[in-house]
Amino acid sequence: MLQQQLPWFIGGPVMGLCVVAARALFNGRLGVTGGFSEIISKVSRGSLSFDWRGWFALGIVVAGVGFALLAGQQSFQGYGWLTRTFAESSIWIPVILVASGLLIGFGAKTAGGCTSGNGLSGTSSLSASGILSTCVFFGTAIVVANIIQVVI
Amino acid sequence: MLNRASGLVIGIVFGAMICWTGMINPDVILGALTFQSSYLFLFMGSAVGTGALGLFILRKRAPKAVLVDAKVAWKDDPPARRHVTGSLMFGVGWGIACVCPGPILAQLGQGIPWAIYSFVGVVAGVFIYLRRGSVETEPAGDHAAAQAAPAAAVN
Repeated sequence: MLQQQLPWFIGGPVMGLCVVAARALFNGRLGVTGGFSEIISKVSRGSLSFDWRGWFALGIVVAGVGFALLAGQQSFQGYGWLTRTFAESSIWIPVILVASGLLIGFGAKTAGGCTSGNGLSGTSSLSASGILSTCVFFGTAIVVANIIQVVI
Repeated sequence: MLNRASGLVIGIVFGAMICWTGMINPDVILGALTFQSSYLFLFMGSAVGTGALGLFILRKRAPKAVLVDAKVAWKDDPPARRHVTGSLMFGVGWGIACVCPGPILAQLGQGIPWAIYSFVGVVAGVFIYLRRGSVETEPAGDHAAAQAAPAAAVN
């Protein structure tokens, strides 16, 4: 059952309810980058006393562990177009992933949110900056992904 | 304590959805971004629809937040240049790696080795941003919650 994709009309609303729960419980804006930021700034000051955002991020890791254990396998093998295009030992895969990660982390902090912070929470509160950010990163990613699709 | 436990539980639910909807898989993301599947858009749309309805009700009623000593109220940031520049960078990274911060954490949990590279990249990107002493960009509601959290966590 866990190998089958959950219908979108269940997965989507549950994600939406997570956004609402964070607002109702903590008056907070749900966002994974916020969790990264909280953990990184605390750890770099030698503290492990994370607020709810840090624990939210850790919860996602826990879910990954639990899901793989319950399903009895990882959700996918290889790593998408990267392992189809390059040999698994190729230096290009780490280089591309680290560089993309840098853009993702630095870009999300600059824009004040990632797919969750701006894409889910920002748009859900009808925030103009959240909607603008979401349009820009979706548009950009669509262009980039289609270029990759054509080139490889 | 209750604060952190609640954050963890929301994270577990959120992470389970990332895994179960296939958003953890780079091929699912690539398929969505190249319009081979409508799942991601329907999924995001229904998440935002549900979230918007819930937040609309919360905003209107403005109850006291359950776990922090504050009323549920927030101000949205007005659009600025950084939303465009930051999201351009984010979109390039997302389109190439076909992964964003949530799925990276879920992949790490599943023991997918490739996630270590994107994780290192994201951590470095956030760290560089914080080190530059750049202004905090996440909306005001986050700070209110972050500041209120330690006081409430004592209970």
